Amino acid sequence: MQKSVNLQVRHLCIERGDRELCQDLSFSVQSKELVRIAGENGAGKSSLIKALLGWLPIEEGQIEFNGEDVTLHRHSLLQNQLYLGHNPGIKTVFTALENLRVYCPEASEDALEEALTQVQLSAFAETPAAQLSAGQKRRIALARLWLTRKPLWLLDEPFTALDVKGVAALEHCMEQHLAQGGAVLITTHQPLLHLAPKVVELSPQ
Amino acid sequence: MNYRSFFKAEWLSLLRRKQDTLNALLFFIMVITLFPLGVDPSSEFLAPAAGGIIWCATALSVLMAVEGMFKEDFNDGSLEQWLASGLSVTYLVVLKVTAQWLMVVLPLLIVLPLLGQMLFLPSEALATVMLTIVLGTPALFFIGAIGAALTVALRRGAVLMLLLILPLYLPVIIFATGAVRAAQLQMSFHGQLAILAAMSIVALALSPVMTAISIKASVN
Repeated sequence: MQKSVNLQVRHLCIERGDRELCQDLSFSVQSKELVRIAGENGAGKSSLIKALLGWLPIEEGQIEFNGEDVTLHRHSLLQNQLYLGHNPGIKTVFTALENLRVYCPEASEDALEEALTQVQLSAFAETPAAQLSAGQKRRIALARLWLTRKPLWLLDEPFTALDVKGVAALEHCMEQHLAQGGAVLITTHQPLLHLAPKVVELSPQ
Repeated sequence: MNYRSFFKAEWLSLLRRKQDTLNALLFFIMVITLFPLGVDPSSEFLAPAAGGIIWCATALSVLMAVEGMFKEDFNDGSLEQWLASGLSVTYLVVLKVTAQWLMVVLPLLIVLPLLGQMLFLPSEALATVMLTIVLGTPALFFIGAIGAALTVALRRGAVLMLLLILPLYLPVIIFATGAVRAAQLQMSFHGQLAILAAMSIVALALSPVMTAISIKASVN
């Protein structure tokens, strides 16, 4: 199945409190593109993603997704994206497998286990997430990427708390996703190993 | 995520966190057992007061259960995932509150006949008390959900939430105890029941929308 993404952001201006996070920011994310939002700590990288999702008000600007203006109603954008934030929404009372099943109810048991194998958690499938480390919890959330069909991925610091092997596996997964016509918008401080992203710079005002 | 998997997950996590539910139930039982010890254990006093005592204990234990209902979802990032899921957060709130309601109110109803005996509640009034709880507590839960969502991002939000929510609980308590008193006097109490049901229906219609807006405001 070929995925298509065309996210256009034009003249975006976001304020948080009294601070202007960005002004007149324009960029696009298209199929087969990996876009990295760069900037110092506190420059507003996470806020930019939240603004795209519609949780932070936009002062000015326009957001267009697949030819549709979604500035006011993000519905069609939300339907087609997968967002992973700093806290990836993993319940500590559930096991790794149960957590994954909540988010991917249509996936078969085999597919769920395969996804956990991809993030090297197959041995912990039945372990309550409360007993897992921060990196392992994050990997449960990342396992969703192997199961989803959503074309646009919005990943906020996906590499934090991951080991080298985990980073390589995630990059491989993103590569496959891009090859299928998907798109990834990512914020990270870590240099990517072998993917060359397009960079959107957020500079402090 | 879809609505079904969401409800199943909510239900399962409530079952896994039994102690929270048990706390509300234990609190309910404790208030009702301690009250006669502290005031007056005679049946002349307790029988007319029983409806009021039961309803105050119910309102307080509901408040306990509702207060932190979004806290964990907020801390582990689930609220963000609700908003990002593309599903209607309004419906997710309805499902979550329904699961909570079943988990808290069903045990209360089960122990109620026994506690009614302890308070010398006349057996013909017991059915009315149970009816008022079934019809009135949904309003308490849905109103509480707004307060819980509004204060979820605050570090010490519990007190603010009480201030926001308690005034809205008063009409429910007044009409519920009114219905019980009318039943004890062998008067008609359908009017009070209808008002209780109306309050729950209005809360069901308005609160999920307001809760969803509050969740969105709390997340960023």
